[in-house]
Amino acid sequence: MDVIRFYRKIFFFVLILAVASPVWAGVPTEKIRETTEKILSIVTDPDLKGAEKEGERRRLIREAVDERFDWKEMSQRALARHWRKLNDVQKQEFITLFGELLERTYLNRVEDYSGEQVTYMNEVIEGEYALVEVKILTTKGTEIPVNYKLRKKGGDWRVYDIAIEGVSLVNNYRVQFNDIITKSSYEELVKKLQEKVAEK
Amino acid sequence: MKRFDIELTVGLFIIAGILCLGYLSVKLGRMEILGGKGYEVYALFSNTGGLKDGSSVVIAGVDVGRVKSITLDDYQARVLINVADGVELQEDAIASIKTKGLIGEKFIEITPGGSERIIPPGGRIRETQPPIDFEQVISKYVFGKVD
Repeated sequence: MDVIRFYRKIFFFVLILAVASPVWAGVPTEKIRETTEKILSIVTDPDLKGAEKEGERRRLIREAVDERFDWKEMSQRALARHWRKLNDVQKQEFITLFGELLERTYLNRVEDYSGEQVTYMNEVIEGEYALVEVKILTTKGTEIPVNYKLRKKGGDWRVYDIAIEGVSLVNNYRVQFNDIITKSSYEELVKKLQEKVAEK
Repeated sequence: MKRFDIELTVGLFIIAGILCLGYLSVKLGRMEILGGKGYEVYALFSNTGGLKDGSSVVIAGVDVGRVKSITLDDYQARVLINVADGVELQEDAIASIKTKGLIGEKFIEITPGGSERIIPPGGRIRETQPPIDFEQVISKYVFGKVD
């Protein structure tokens, strides 16, 4: 009898752990930490320093970012209601283009890394959505709050929006894209993005 | 008889005046009589920056609703919004608090999303953006430059 009771106790303990651990372990935060550390290790790697290694360095960073960022969801949210009017080929083309635009815009800043500290502040999970709050401490001593918004897709947490100082990246592009499409056309927007991506 | 006519006219004028005043206060105060139309959704903001009950809610600059109430919910601002019937908000719509002009009043701007899912009455606008706190941003750069 006692043995059964003992096993039952252990069983419940394990059950509670199993239920509690996903929340307690903070999976989204771990994912963000993993990607951040991967990128920082690339940027600070002495073997990858120098202009001649730029191509490889960028490829590695892009790979790490691709793993964590949901470009499709981001593109869809940025184009908003215009997204639904596109066919599959156009959608795919836009996802690639938007990814390249963000790469061009933000990769240089990542490469300027000079020992900023990243602190993981808070995490909120609600169903398939999660919010990870991070503070970046610059070398000058300023704190920049960055919020990552993630969505669980196929068992993995992927980023669909970033808010820096409360300003959402998706909303920024959504307003601009909507302006351009309303004023001219979707084709014009693609042309503008292509020019932006192509300029050195 | 004549006296009675004057009294009646004055009385009618006063009643008409009171009705006008009532109409004006309802219009200007943006009050709703008989419950009002539309449906309600809510949004959580980390900071409302002085948003008030009755502040307008716009899409592309067009009024589509009003802020019904603002309450504190787990140290966040829970803003209840009344949205006009016929205005559909997608699940990925973003609600951001903006300022009219540089120092004007605050209002909520909703940028519609592209999701197929529509927020039902009583639902939540998940994506929100608090107003930019210029004071904080400026002070950051000020203190950042000290050393």
